[in-house]
Amino acid sequence: MPKRRLDPLPSAAFQILLSLAEEDLHGYGIMRQVAEQTGDRMRLGPGTLYSSIQSLLEEKFIEEVDTREDANLANDRRRYYRLTSAGRKLARNEAERLADLLRVARAKKILRGDYV
Amino acid sequence: MSEKIYALLLRIYPTRFRETYGDAALQLFRDRLRDERGFIPRLRLWLDLIGDLAMSVPREYIKAPQALAAAPVAQTPGEILSFRVLDGEPPRPEAFFFASLLSLAAVGAFAIAIGHAGDYKPFRAFVAPSRHSPHLSPTAPSHPSPSSLDDGDEEAIGSVSQEATAAPPMPDEAVHQTKTQDLTKPVTIVATSGAQIDPVERRYVIDAAALNLKQHYFDPKLAQNMADSLLAHAKNGDDEAVKTGAGFAALLTAQMRDASHDLHLEVVYSRDILPAQPSMTQSPEHLARYRRAMEQSNCTFEKVEILPHNIGYLKLNSFPDPAICRPTATAAMASLNHADAIIIDLRDNGGGYQGGVSMIAAYLFDRPVYLYDPRQAQTEQSWTHSPIPRNKLADKPAYVLTSGSTVSAAEDFSYNLKMMHRATFIGETTRGSAHAGVFHRIDDHFGMAIPEVKVVNPYEAADWEGKGIEPDVKVKAEDALATAQKLAETKLRKK
Repeated sequence: MPKRRLDPLPSAAFQILLSLAEEDLHGYGIMRQVAEQTGDRMRLGPGTLYSSIQSLLEEKFIEEVDTREDANLANDRRRYYRLTSAGRKLARNEAERLADLLRVARAKKILRGDYV
Repeated sequence: MSEKIYALLLRIYPTRFRETYGDAALQLFRDRLRDERGFIPRLRLWLDLIGDLAMSVPREYIKAPQALAAAPVAQTPGEILSFRVLDGEPPRPEAFFFASLLSLAAVGAFAIAIGHAGDYKPFRAFVAPSRHSPHLSPTAPSHPSPSSLDDGDEEAIGSVSQEATAAPPMPDEAVHQTKTQDLTKPVTIVATSGAQIDPVERRYVIDAAALNLKQHYFDPKLAQNMADSLLAHAKNGDDEAVKTGAGFAALLTAQMRDASHDLHLEVVYSRDILPAQPSMTQSPEHLARYRRAMEQSNCTFEKVEILPHNIGYLKLNSFPDPAICRPTATAAMASLNHADAIIIDLRDNGGGYQGGVSMIAAYLFDRPVYLYDPRQAQTEQSWTHSPIPRNKLADKPAYVLTSGSTVSAAEDFSYNLKMMHRATFIGETTRGSAHAGVFHRIDDHFGMAIPEVKVVNPYEAADWEGKGIEPDVKVKAEDALATAQKLAETKLRKK
C-alpha cells in the first residue's frame, strides 16, 4: 500500500485547512490567516505553503475555485482555494484527535488543575 | 533585487513544482516584501524563507521517488514485466552551487538572529522566563466543596513570585481558562508585562476588599476592624511602595491577618483575567468533566496493593466525590481488608471532597468520629459512617505518607487523623493550605478568600493554614514509603 502523504496530518496542512474554514483564500491570504490564528508563530513560507497545497489538492481536501483579483492587493490575478467537505471532515477528525490527547494529558496530570 | 535573488533560489525546487507553483510563490514573496518593511521584518522574512527552503526543498525531492515506488507494476499481455518510471530529475550542478550558498547564508543568518534575539519573537520565547500564572489552587465556592486536585503548583508559585505562599482559593473555571490560554498562545506574552499595578486600581481593590469583608466575613466587628485597618494603611501611604500585583495582594493579606489573626483570609492576584463571579452551584459541564476524569483515572486510586509482610498500600491522589466514586472506593478498601497494617500514600494528593475524606477515614475507626473541616460547620458529613460492616482495618496500624504537595482536603484528612493519634505520619510537612474561604472576585486580576462561617476547631485554636502538618517521622518524600514499610514490619514482628 502506498503511504499516504497526509497521514499523519502535518501541522502546516492542518493549519491551512483551518484557515479555509470560513472563507476562500488565495495563497498569501492563507499565509496571513495562518499567522493570525497561531499568534504569528507559524508563518508559512512559499515552499511549505504550496507543497502542502499541492498535497491537499491531490487528495481532494481542498479545491481551486477561480482566479480573480484581490481588491486589497496589487492588481495581479490570484488563484483561490476552497475547503471541500472531505477536507472539513479531515480537519474535524484532527481536532477531535487533539482533543482526545488533551483529555489524556489531563488524566495523566500533565495538565493540572482542570477541575476542583 | 530581492525578488531576483528569490527567483534564483526558486530554481532549487524540482521543475514540476516550479512550473506549477513558481509564479504563485514569487507573487507571495512580492506580497510579503510589500507588506513587511523595515530592517527587522525584512530579516524575519529572509529567515522565514531560508527555513522554508531548507524544509520544503528536500520534501519536494523525496516526493518524486515516493511516487515512483507507488507506481504499480504494469503487466503486459506478453508476460513481460515493465515498470512505469517517473522522471526523477537529479539536481542540476547549479543547484549544488545555490545549496552551498544557502548553507552559508543560513549559518550567517543564524549568527545574526542570535544577536537580535531580543527583538525576534520566537527567540524571545526562549529568553523570557516561563509564563506561568501565579498558580492558584481552586476551591469551589460552596460545599460539598472539592479543592485542588492539582498538586504540583508549589514550584510554579516559587518560580513566579516569592510572595504567593499558600495556594489561594479560586474558582476552578479560572484555572481551566488559564490552561486553555496557555495552550493556544504560550509564546507571545512576556512575563514582566501586566504585573504592575497603578494607584487607581490599588485604591479600587482596597475599597472593594473592605466592602467585601464587611458584607461577607462571619464576624462583623472584626470585619469592621480589618476594613478600617486597610483604609488606614492606604491613607498612610503604606501600600505605595509595592509595584507588582502579587506583592500588593500579599501586603493586603498581611494587613487583614494582622488585624484579625485569621489565616484563612487572603487577597489573591492572578496574572490572567479572572472569570466572572462563578455561580454558587457547579455547572453540569463541570460535573461531566469531573466524572469523566474520575472514570479515566480510577477515581485517583493510583495503587491498591498488598506489599510484603501483608502490608496494605493505598496510593490515593485525591479525595473524590463519593457520589461518583463510592463503588471504586469500596472495592479498593475491600481488597485491602485482610492486611495487617495499612499505608495510605497522600504524597501526590491534591485535595478533593470532604465527603471523600469521610468515606476513606470511616475505614480506620470502629465508631463514628467527628472530622473537623475549617470550611464548614458541623453537618451530617462531618461524622464518619463507622463501623463499616465486615471492615477489619479499624484497629490495624496505619501509616500516612505526606509531602509538600499534600494539600487541602488531604491535609484535612491528615490533620484529623493526627489529632486523634490514629496514624503515624511519615514524610514531609504538608503544604499548609486549608482553602477555607469563599472566593470573591474584585476585578480582572484580584480576588479574595473570605471565611463566611465560624467553625470551632475542637483541637487547637489554629489549624494547618500557613504552617502545614508536621510528620511524626521526617524523611524526604521519596523515602517515605520505604521508611513506612520498615516501621510497619518492625511493629508487626513485635506482635
